Amino acid sequence: MLTPLMEVKSLYLHYITRKGVVKAVDNINFNLNKGETISLVGESGCGKSSLARAIMRLLPKNIAKYEGNIFINGMDIMSLKDEDFKRRVRWKKVSIVFQGAMDSLNPLLKVGEQVAEPLMIHEGIPEKDAVERAGELLSLVGISRSFIDRYPFELSGGMQQRVLIAMALITRPEIVILDEPTSALDVITQANIMNILKDIKSELELSYIFITHDIALSTELSDRIAIMYAGKIVELTSLEAFLSDPLHPYAKLLLASVPTLRSTKKLSYIPGAPPSLLDPPLGCRFHPRCPHAKDICRKKEPPEVEVSKLHTVKCWLFAQDSEGVA
Amino acid sequence: MVKAVDGVSFELGKGEAISLVGESGSGKTTLAKTILRLYEPTDGTLIFNGKDITHLNAKNLMWYRKTVQLVQQDPFGSLPYFLTIREILEEPLRIHKIGDERSRDELVYKALENVRLLPAEDFLPKYPHMISGGQAQRVAIARALILQPELIVADEPVSMLDASVRVEILMLLRELQENRKISFIYVTHDLSTSRYFSDKIFIMYAGHIVEKAATLEILREPLHPYTIALFEAIPDPDPSNVRRRRKTPVGEPPSLLDPPLGCRFHPRCPHAKDICRKKEPPEVEVSKLHTVKCWLFAQEDSEGGA
Repeated sequence: MLTPLMEVKSLYLHYITRKGVVKAVDNINFNLNKGETISLVGESGCGKSSLARAIMRLLPKNIAKYEGNIFINGMDIMSLKDEDFKRRVRWKKVSIVFQGAMDSLNPLLKVGEQVAEPLMIHEGIPEKDAVERAGELLSLVGISRSFIDRYPFELSGGMQQRVLIAMALITRPEIVILDEPTSALDVITQANIMNILKDIKSELELSYIFITHDIALSTELSDRIAIMYAGKIVELTSLEAFLSDPLHPYAKLLLASVPTLRSTKKLSYIPGAPPSLLDPPLGCRFHPRCPHAKDICRKKEPPEVEVSKLHTVKCWLFAQDSEGVA
Repeated sequence: MVKAVDGVSFELGKGEAISLVGESGSGKTTLAKTILRLYEPTDGTLIFNGKDITHLNAKNLMWYRKTVQLVQQDPFGSLPYFLTIREILEEPLRIHKIGDERSRDELVYKALENVRLLPAEDFLPKYPHMISGGQAQRVAIARALILQPELIVADEPVSMLDASVRVEILMLLRELQENRKISFIYVTHDLSTSRYFSDKIFIMYAGHIVEKAATLEILREPLHPYTIALFEAIPDPDPSNVRRRRKTPVGEPPSLLDPPLGCRFHPRCPHAKDICRKKEPPEVEVSKLHTVKCWLFAQEDSEGGA
């Protein structure tokens, strides 16, 4: 089998707060293959954005635990010093598109300079050439070159988001993390952005990590889907398998709660609320809301069970206690 | 001048639930707030239970304020953080001079039970920051219900909540609305939730209602080119989406400071004809309970109904 483009192994990111330690990313494992899109889907506070920050090493100061391995093309980027990480990994190999373009763009910089900036800083390319390349990328995301001299406030929300996408691409990364890239946008604008993301993915042979709370939207891009709950990936499988037969009780219930426009399925919801990551439940973190919770679920964290090739579920329903090695 | 809501007409029956669906800036919230008489309309009339309330002053509006209630988007923004849940629910009763201390206590308790915040006595002494978003939104709903209103306007009541909680709140609202025959206006950008929780759907674009129809009817046969574009843009969970390129209209919604002449959707419309650029289309009744504001369905010389 080919080595995956990216391998995340036992990744942890915990924060210290006044109230205690927040276990935002707690032993996360997954692989990303070349040209593939994995969606990380979960509700707010499940740790999905923290996972993005952990990969990008864009961290706040209040770190309690930040460890694990992240291999890109076989190189463990977690072992790099900050200087090397900045020079060799961030933006160069992995870049990120944040949500809320208005807050992510510098209001004082013209669009062209803004998109060009990573090239000038990271590769020392002269401004004139960098802005030229910025113009090319802007037209790739559907913004006329003439916009390089505009300021962010002169652009609509959808155009600003496209500027952010162009910016994330200018250093020719192989992996782009999309962190809720359309969450502040209207549906038609969102559909436009999705079209663009699909186009550039095949054109530039990109791999995406798509972070979203919106299951319906995740199906626009995903090859595989990882469902996160309370800092853990509880199920990871192909999009088809997830949509036709999700196994983890949380994944099942979450899918059943998605309203649809075209089918007449009955909606349901999950009673209760996700736990605080300050003091998550013992055992399986979903057990207080799980209709199938057994004794062991309350006591012992379930292992990641490989139910078939490329399909893992972190749930005692699919594991033997003897496997409790995890 | 921003013409946020421009020449909108509709009727809402007793116990009926409608959705006002539109993108940001379509005027849906302005319309909702005008219906609540939080804004005074610059033109037109608002009739409630046969009574003209268009220009009533604050004093004469007290009865209306009691009959019509609002549930807002952000429960933590709409609930005063410095009051306990008991005080929050008591306040409307005090203002409208309902009951004495004891009967108020009972009403407050009942209100929490109705929205299934149980056991109620656990919630009464809490402050909003001590409960979850879904629970806070239920307190906001309890507050809206405590005066036994005839109309509730819910402005994006679930858009800040998580997926698993969203459906719970909408189902609760729908159940309370149906059981008590409360009329209900659900303001949302999310067409896929509106289908579950309303009898009729009204689509807004740039200050106009461009299509009105019964929910099942509009889902089966959307007619206005904007409605069709909106449907096309919304994904359902479906593995074939990955290979799909969605047809989207060019451009963006217009500024309401200077909306296009004629039909406001014409610069983005794939079917725009000459007349669409010149003259505002009339509202055409294509069938009973289905109207569409579009020249494709109207005769140029018979637009008298507009």
